[in-house]
Amino acid sequence: MAEKFDNLEEHLEKFIENIRQMGIIVSDFQPSSQTGLNQKLNFMITGLQDVEKCRQQLNDIHVPLEAFEYIDQGRNPQLYTKECLERALAKNEQVKGKIDTMTKFKSLLITELGKVFPEEMAKYKAIHGDDPPS
Amino acid sequence: MTEMFSSLYGQTDTQGPPGPSALGFGPGKPLAPPAAQNQVHMSVGIPHQLVDEGPPLRKPGAMNEPFYLLRELPVENELTGNTNLITHYNLEHAYNKFCGKKVKEKLSNFLPELPGMIDNPGLQDGSSLRSLIEKPPVCNNSFSPLTGAMLTGFRLHTGPLPEQYRLMHIQPPKKKSKHKHRHHRPQDPLPPETPSDSDHKKKKKKKDDDPDRKKKKKDKKKKKNRHSPDHPGMTGSQPSGSSLR
Repeated sequence: MAEKFDNLEEHLEKFIENIRQMGIIVSDFQPSSQTGLNQKLNFMITGLQDVEKCRQQLNDIHVPLEAFEYIDQGRNPQLYTKECLERALAKNEQVKGKIDTMTKFKSLLITELGKVFPEEMAKYKAIHGDDPPS
Repeated sequence: MTEMFSSLYGQTDTQGPPGPSALGFGPGKPLAPPAAQNQVHMSVGIPHQLVDEGPPLRKPGAMNEPFYLLRELPVENELTGNTNLITHYNLEHAYNKFCGKKVKEKLSNFLPELPGMIDNPGLQDGSSLRSLIEKPPVCNNSFSPLTGAMLTGFRLHTGPLPEQYRLMHIQPPKKKSKHKHRHHRPQDPLPPETPSDSDHKKKKKKKDDDPDRKKKKKDKKKKKNRHSPDHPGMTGSQPSGSSLR
């Protein structure tokens, strides 16, 4: 799994480095730089071909669109991961709290109903059996 | 209005609203016939799959009990919010990594190797990923190398770039950090002064400052001066180490 990403990362790094060097050549262009620039242009196309090849290996990878929004805003996309994990934990705790409360409520209700309607509750227990321990 | 309604549902509703017994609230009345009637009536408009019948009723024998509306308890799912889902999916490491310490806000902290001003919003210069998805560039599916004729289109004028385009490869000023760069850039035509270079220079300076080394150097110079007139064959290009032997 990691190899796929390493391969893509390596190609992207080479591609970015090539673009950076092209930027330097172009920023103060000299007539003698034309050959070098032409080479870099073709190297850029080779780089794009390499990145394109990596696409087949990464078809099963899904990136959430929200992560792109973070990048577009110039923010660290790890913040998105962080917020997702925090939200998941908070929701998990919330649901657990609800389940615990409902379980307590159920056992209390059965106890209290047993006091007021002992016969009916005995029948209820006969149908449902004893409650599993909460 | 009633005609329209009847035409929609296929039969006229002459029975009126169902009483409590029809709804199953009457004591000790069998439930099955009204329920079946209801189902037939409902199936006119709604597909059978969409009708949620819920879990099956308890035992048929229990119909006469006071809890005739009692249904089977829902089957307990193995995975609910009752379990710690982060532990269940082995995400503790990721949780500790991202939530245990402060994650730096800027994109350049995530991609320190990337040149250019990447912390600026992409919408400003039209380089946002969203625009790439919403309006993908019109191009061929394959990339083919540029031929000689095509490359003539990339002949540039001599001289520096206009001011507004120079920002492309300028790196924003960075705070001094002790972090080492992960990858060394090969084939760098104009390598900027990296921290490793400056460290090397500092080390050299430090070595020069060493008093023992200074003494040794002085001794070497003295010896050279003494030996040079007597031994004309000895040149300055020879390694100084051999003279000490």
